[in-house]
Amino acid sequence: MKDKISRDQMYEIHPRIPLAHKQLEEGRITRREFVRFATLLGMSATLAVACAPADEGSGVVEDDGDMADNGVPKRGGMITIGMATDQIIDHPARLSWIEGSNVVRQVCENLTQTNPGAITVPLLLESWEANDTVDQWTLKLREGILFNDGSPFNADTVLFNFGEWLNPEVGSSMLGLLGYLDGDIGRVEKVDDLTVRLNLARPEIGVPENLFHYPSAIMKEGFGGDFIKEPIGTGPFTLEDYVPGERIVLKARSDYWGKSEDGSALPYLDGITFVDLDKDASVSALEGGEIDTFYQPRPADMAALDGADNITSNVASTSSVTVLRMRMDIEPFNDIRVYNAVKKCQDRQKILNLAWLGAGDLGADAHIAPSQPAYAPREIPELDIEGAMALMEEWSADTGNSLPLAVTLVTKNDDGEAEFAQVLKEQMDKAGFDVTLDITEAGGYWERWDEVSLGITAWTDRPLCTMLIPLAYVADAEGNPVPWNETRWVDDEFIEVFNEAAGTLDLEARRELVGKLQDIMLERAPIGIPYFKGVGSLLNSKVKNVPLSPNSYFMLHEVYMEE
Amino acid sequence: MARFIFRSIISTIVTMLLVSITLFILLEFERPSVAKERPCSGIIRKILGIMATPEQCVSFRNQLGIDQPLPLRYVDWLAGNDWRAESKTGYPLVTLDNLNSGEEEWWMEVDGRYMQFEIDGEDLVALVRQEDGFVEREVMNDLWRPNDDGAGEQFWGVDNKGRAVKWLLGSGKTAFISTQTGWQEIDNAPDDYLPLRKGMLRGDPGFSLRTNRPVNSQIFRRIRNTALLAGLAFAVVMPLALVLGIVAGVNEGKLIDRVISVGGLFGTATPEFVTGMLLILVFAIWLKMFPAVSVFTTDKLSLSDWKKFALPVLTLTTVELGYIIRMTRASMVEVMNTSYIRTAIIKGMPFKRVVFKHAIRNALMAPITIIMLHVNWLIGGIVVVEAIFGYPGLGTYIYDSAIFGDVNALEASAMVTVLVAVVTRLLGDLAYTYLNPRIRYS
Repeated sequence: MKDKISRDQMYEIHPRIPLAHKQLEEGRITRREFVRFATLLGMSATLAVACAPADEGSGVVEDDGDMADNGVPKRGGMITIGMATDQIIDHPARLSWIEGSNVVRQVCENLTQTNPGAITVPLLLESWEANDTVDQWTLKLREGILFNDGSPFNADTVLFNFGEWLNPEVGSSMLGLLGYLDGDIGRVEKVDDLTVRLNLARPEIGVPENLFHYPSAIMKEGFGGDFIKEPIGTGPFTLEDYVPGERIVLKARSDYWGKSEDGSALPYLDGITFVDLDKDASVSALEGGEIDTFYQPRPADMAALDGADNITSNVASTSSVTVLRMRMDIEPFNDIRVYNAVKKCQDRQKILNLAWLGAGDLGADAHIAPSQPAYAPREIPELDIEGAMALMEEWSADTGNSLPLAVTLVTKNDDGEAEFAQVLKEQMDKAGFDVTLDITEAGGYWERWDEVSLGITAWTDRPLCTMLIPLAYVADAEGNPVPWNETRWVDDEFIEVFNEAAGTLDLEARRELVGKLQDIMLERAPIGIPYFKGVGSLLNSKVKNVPLSPNSYFMLHEVYMEE
Repeated sequence: MARFIFRSIISTIVTMLLVSITLFILLEFERPSVAKERPCSGIIRKILGIMATPEQCVSFRNQLGIDQPLPLRYVDWLAGNDWRAESKTGYPLVTLDNLNSGEEEWWMEVDGRYMQFEIDGEDLVALVRQEDGFVEREVMNDLWRPNDDGAGEQFWGVDNKGRAVKWLLGSGKTAFISTQTGWQEIDNAPDDYLPLRKGMLRGDPGFSLRTNRPVNSQIFRRIRNTALLAGLAFAVVMPLALVLGIVAGVNEGKLIDRVISVGGLFGTATPEFVTGMLLILVFAIWLKMFPAVSVFTTDKLSLSDWKKFALPVLTLTTVELGYIIRMTRASMVEVMNTSYIRTAIIKGMPFKRVVFKHAIRNALMAPITIIMLHVNWLIGGIVVVEAIFGYPGLGTYIYDSAIFGDVNALEASAMVTVLVAVVTRLLGDLAYTYLNPRIRYS
């Protein structure tokens, strides 16, 4: 603890850090939240960890996500990874699939890197600084980095990349993520050759995290828009062979700028081979040792290889979810009693066990996941058939409708929804409903997902709740539900609290507001969320030093293989 | 004989043409009249997803060049459209290999220099290809030509996505481009698109909608992979099956016949995914003799790679063997019971000579038909085996393309399987004539 510093010294790094530290000491925020917050505001990760000893905090299980490893790294060897390689890779800023970014990530690098444990550290940056109001960020670039074609990395490179992200014709999802730049490249300012300043339209603390979002790989200035034709980056590997749908081979670069902690050259591996295998084949291949890991094993794959002696497995929490959603603009779900009765019929643990083999976190009907920052822990509601029955009887008496109420539950069958639907039906049938299941393959559901009155929709992972809620639970300027608002639920208080939360930087205050959002959703949103999916990883035990990413990012520059 | 072969080849070509027309009509996007009413229907919906609006679909159709009449598209597909585009641009269009990826790219040759074009505001910008493969930008506003209807100026050129496009000067026209992360409306968009292709006859099936890369860069590897696996399986199965079938047929009703027949039936009756999984479990997981899947990390095969083929070939052998054994056996039994064989035996001809000289030739007619049909199946139909062993073959390629709605890839691979079908039929015909002189002299 010799590295611990005083509050005054913290204040010098950023005025907001001392308060957060006080909250940490009082046990009101977790150690993990403090470290994330302090590092985002420019404190070094080592220092932040030192200021937040593990025995303080609030009793939340500590997890830095690194795999314990005390071995001496060995050099050499190719790692073989099973992963789909058959979709479009052209402009990295345009990527919309993680698998593609996992290829680009080895060749090109980001300005920052978010390590497991949600700690963001500089990568191509030397450091960053936020002003007191957190609406001006100064990015200092690392000096002397060269692209694999010999051209230098400097402020012009960074400006070029911001230009690409903000250019609507490029079509990068970064454009939305960097909303605080208003799509205006004028807000990105070159101070000198190694310094870039971002002048935000509104305060935002997540800037360094956003710079690690998967479409934000830094490309060379003048990049033409096709990675396969110009595989030029600053990363530890170069593109050797690209056969979509078959394999992608990357080779280590001998002049990579990055060094390991003890100063030795990186990467340790000679190269990476991605082979396109389907998941079933991947399971046999991993077991037989033909591949060393594969992308996003399903729960069934995790179960199949449970206890295999040469395989390490892990599960990370995500905000991927299947949402039981009801349209509150049409009968019978236009009555809050009906949709709350449905919500009470969720046997959450059983649904999680059957639909996702128990690998995940239970949810309390709020589309905000425990894996997202600012999540406020809440009690998980129990299955309550009597409560549901009582609501339905009251509704029936009021409206003159007879019970059981016939409803059709529509969903698809490829993501655990069918099991979810089946468990729900069994309980609902006891509580005054007569449920018919209408389960189709994925395409059949996506054709009508926002139209059906009662359905289960899959939503993918998003690192922050502020990235999801504006898509699904708000109205547009005229007060009409936004296009993806499948429930048509628009709640003034909810939207007001949400806007307040999005603009709040103080950790504790923000969590209080997010907790309020969760309570509102549990109380009166027409959605049921019994669980959030855990995403697993399976790894041959000889592969060491692999950071576990909740987003299934492969970060391989310090990985090595024993044998 | 020569005439027979000539006739077969001609009928093969005609068959290919007819099949290609049928295939094209079946697989291509729906008719323009349908497209006009419901621009987002069918494959377009599949590619663009649930959120696409009708105007986006219309724009996308234009970019794919599928807003043209069906017969014209068929000609494009079969024989290419660069000659048609050349008459619009007024300059020769050529393909050059990209120095990095090796893919062919379209360039317009203007005064000995190779160019692609883009629009920057009101300026026409040429991307001029340099010796080292990179491009230099150059404003070339003197290439604007008077518009077709005399009002304003236009330019037909090649863009950097392999399309001949027409820009109207200052039209302010917008287009929607699909960018995977959503739709973007772009200004100064071209007025018309014609995706360039050389056509099937010149070996260019166009771009894969799934990977946005030329179908060529993938399909030939898949054909090669499949040919290798199918060839190995064929080389193992056929001699084995014929020998076993003949042995069983000659020894009809004896123990050896029963063993061969029942064993073969057992193999054939078990579905290939069961056989495959069982073999993986035994040979890869328990005994660790062979790899569980066929993962190839480079293009160069070495001798030690034979192990990677062991399990897929064994699976295919198990499935195929029984079927061909049964056909051969039945045919052999039938021949052995004919009066001329009986006469030969009764007259005292050595049994071996009767079987090898007189029976086998006649007994092979039926198995050959089956064998030729099976070549076909081995090339395009072993999706299940390919999927189990992660083998990148043509079968999975067809399957994935069909699931995605990747029309260009699907049409090209379907044509490959059709080609295999007609060629194997041709080979079968030739084999008949060799085995049976009556066909030769009729």
